[in-house]
Amino acid sequence: MIVCSRCSKENQDHYKFCLGCGAELPRQSSKPRSFSAPTPPGGTPSQGRTTNAPQVPQAQAGRAEALASAPQLELDPAPVEPARAKPVAVEDLLPPELAPLSEETSPCPHCGSQVPENFRFCHVCGDDLHAEASGEAFGDAPAERVSAPAVADAPQPAAARARLVLIQPDGSEGESFPLSGGRTLIGRGTGGIFANDAYLSPEHAEFRFEGDQLVVKDMESLNGVYIRIEPEVPIELFDGSIFRVGQEILRFEAPVAPDPAADGTQYMGSPHRGYLGRIALMIGRESTGNSYPIPPQGIHLGRERGDVVFPEDGYVSGLHCRVNSEVGHVFLTDVGSSNGTFVRVSNESYVPQGTFVLIGQQLFRAEY
Amino acid sequence: MEQARNYVCTECASAVPSGHKFCGACGAGVPNEAQTLETRFFGALQMPGKARLIVVRGDEAMGEGLSYLLQATEHVAGREADQIPFPSDNWLSPAHANFLYRGEKLVVRDEGSLNGVYIRIRGASPIQIGDHFMCGQQLFRIDATPKDTSGPEADQTHFYSSPRRPSAFRVTQVLEGGMDGIVCCAHEQSVQIGREDCDINFPDDVHMSPRHARVEMSGESLELVDENSQNGTYVRIRGERELSHGDYLFLGRNLLRVEVTA
Repeated sequence: MIVCSRCSKENQDHYKFCLGCGAELPRQSSKPRSFSAPTPPGGTPSQGRTTNAPQVPQAQAGRAEALASAPQLELDPAPVEPARAKPVAVEDLLPPELAPLSEETSPCPHCGSQVPENFRFCHVCGDDLHAEASGEAFGDAPAERVSAPAVADAPQPAAARARLVLIQPDGSEGESFPLSGGRTLIGRGTGGIFANDAYLSPEHAEFRFEGDQLVVKDMESLNGVYIRIEPEVPIELFDGSIFRVGQEILRFEAPVAPDPAADGTQYMGSPHRGYLGRIALMIGRESTGNSYPIPPQGIHLGRERGDVVFPEDGYVSGLHCRVNSEVGHVFLTDVGSSNGTFVRVSNESYVPQGTFVLIGQQLFRAEY
Repeated sequence: MEQARNYVCTECASAVPSGHKFCGACGAGVPNEAQTLETRFFGALQMPGKARLIVVRGDEAMGEGLSYLLQATEHVAGREADQIPFPSDNWLSPAHANFLYRGEKLVVRDEGSLNGVYIRIRGASPIQIGDHFMCGQQLFRIDATPKDTSGPEADQTHFYSSPRRPSAFRVTQVLEGGMDGIVCCAHEQSVQIGREDCDINFPDDVHMSPRHARVEMSGESLELVDENSQNGTYVRIRGERELSHGDYLFLGRNLLRVEVTA
């Protein structure tokens, strides 16, 4: 019980401001707890990073053990089904304070509330529990900067103007595929590194140059061509636009409503808060699963944070991307995810130097 | 001295027993009130066997607390109805529902309205694919899981689908205006709806309880279960439905309570 010094009202211990007069209630001195967030060495694959982490907070211990018990060299265990495309298989572990609620609690040094161990801020009074802890939790080095040497098996023919560098599931670079200055068709039918990819159509995509710019054209393939968007650069979404976050294929759907009845009766329903449209999870050619309307203020998507979460998809970052509206248009923005947000190419698209391109189950970087 | 025990004719002062329309002595007419000894109610609301509808939440024109005595055999409610009008509720069809007696029983019949008639369920109620129900301010529809269209092509190209798991059914939120809102595929066998920590959450719907209702697959059939919510869970009726004392109905934005006096 805290008695307000101004109005003498009795307040509960966790109140920050007096219920009676609004005066700020006295604070206890906050004692920062010892906490050391494991600092990931830039670009080390997560398996090593996690198992070597000296202090694994409670919430992640289980996961870390699971990873530790996996064979160390088996970075890409054989999948049960035909392998799905895996954008850089880095287990993008959440900063500890954002992991799921820990069952262990400890008292907040400021207000005394029992706070889950992995919280960084007290959920009652907002006190920073780790005022001295370093803030590098978000500073994951981009996964693609793995220092494995590029394995350039195929010597580039003299005619090659560009190449697609395969990014392997552990993040290291693999084979390169040369692209000539003319048109290069790739697909399951073109063999080579594409031959065994069951998610590629026989004729999947075509690369060509327009001036200095590499262009990719989707040859009406079944699964399409996806291009990674730049972080913090909004990309406009149109009705039917498809994008990929981790393993999830999402479709933006503009608002549609049935025509009103002839007698003037309106369709009743839940309050319509001026939704911009919906995002729907694609679970078949034309079938969607879970869907969420997008309110005017927009939504965030992430594995653990945001309005729409994907707790079971380890390839989605804690907070991954957002969909929001500006001047009447709807935009998709990657907010610095580790594995990126990919937009499906509608017909064709420029491929700037260094862009990541997802084709079938393989990820490439375009270099020229 | 005593008072005469019968009606006294105003013309000839003879006594006229009840049941006579004219004076037996002089032939003068007897007023209606004196012709029978039938006792009338002060108000029609006292009439037994007749039901009333109380407007618990009304639209702007028809205030709350209004009550309608159902003393005819049929009573049409709707936006342009004469008997039970709700002129300012555009969720109601012109003739929306009919309250009628079948023998002693009061039933409500959906008159082919656009938006239907919803009745508050008591505990659990069987529900089917395609049915609509309401919790708080939210309207939902039960949908079947769509056919799997993620098989490989004729040319053996595999379709890349988002990861998914088996789902027995799905619950779709229906927005005002007819657009679909949230779609939630059942995890395992049920979908829980409420304010917080459910499968579908409405933190800002003040009429919804924290854990309000759930739809559950038990065996081959679906059940809608109200979890002792404060404001109840309502299911859209098919065709007509017998009503009993204490039933609650939603017609558009209007919430009605049924009172049947014994």
